[in-house]
Amino acid sequence: MILRLVLLLATSPASKTHTVEIRGMEFHPAELTVAVGDTIEWVNRDIVPHTATASGHSKWDTGALTQDKTGRYVAQRAGVVRYSCTFHPTMHGKLTVR
Amino acid sequence: MSAFHRLAALALPFTLTAALHAQANPPAPAPAPDLSDPEVAHVAVTANSIDIDAGKFAETRTKNPAVKQFAATMITDHSAVNVQAAALAKKLGVTPADNAVSQSLQTGAAEARKNLESLHGAAFDRAYIAREVGYHQAVLDALDKLLIPTTDNAELKKLLQDVRPAIAAHLEHAKQLHAQLAAPAKTGQ
Repeated sequence: MILRLVLLLATSPASKTHTVEIRGMEFHPAELTVAVGDTIEWVNRDIVPHTATASGHSKWDTGALTQDKTGRYVAQRAGVVRYSCTFHPTMHGKLTVR
Repeated sequence: MSAFHRLAALALPFTLTAALHAQANPPAPAPAPDLSDPEVAHVAVTANSIDIDAGKFAETRTKNPAVKQFAATMITDHSAVNVQAAALAKKLGVTPADNAVSQSLQTGAAEARKNLESLHGAAFDRAYIAREVGYHQAVLDALDKLLIPTTDNAELKKLLQDVRPAIAAHLEHAKQLHAQLAAPAKTGQ
């Protein structure tokens, strides 16, 4: 019974939610690895607005997040995506989807 | 690299370093070497307002999308900081008090504005961004050497500390733009 439950949990595609805090003009953590189907939440703790915006072929973008607002993205397919804040080009993050 | 430093050194005397220097070498009756919290609040609000005004002017003058985006970010960010500063001042019952540092900032801003109003195109973009490099460097120095150390109220001190990374990021952003504008590319000059 327990074994079956464990197997069920291990095989079910239980998607997780990962949180990236934006504070001090940085993404924390700046590098994150998730699975396809996982949700990534970016929470802006800064006074100034930020975005998390994918570069390259990926098209996701949280749009402007004012203080304490949260933006979300559900990882669609495997790959490495670098992202930044469109307002502050000094801010960089990396999302690896497995 | 060295061009940045030269520029920063050129731009510094216009703003806070002049005020800091004036504080260190008082010309007449010796003012206190540090500022009261209401004076710090006034300097913070003034510094933000100056950069908002500069950004608004740059938005109307520049044709360069990257410069326009930078100006828009300056308006948004410094406005957000001023909203917080005003809210905190109200909460603390502090009335921001005008002072020599705020006045020096305003004098420097008026001089810079006069210079920028005479410029157009790529020359304007370079001058505006050069001024932003110098200005943010001066504000960063003032935060570290004057404003944060002399602030007594813990909440006001925290606000200044919270603002510091944004000023540092603006400085880096301005330096990147300055390097792009200085590069012999499409400006035709």
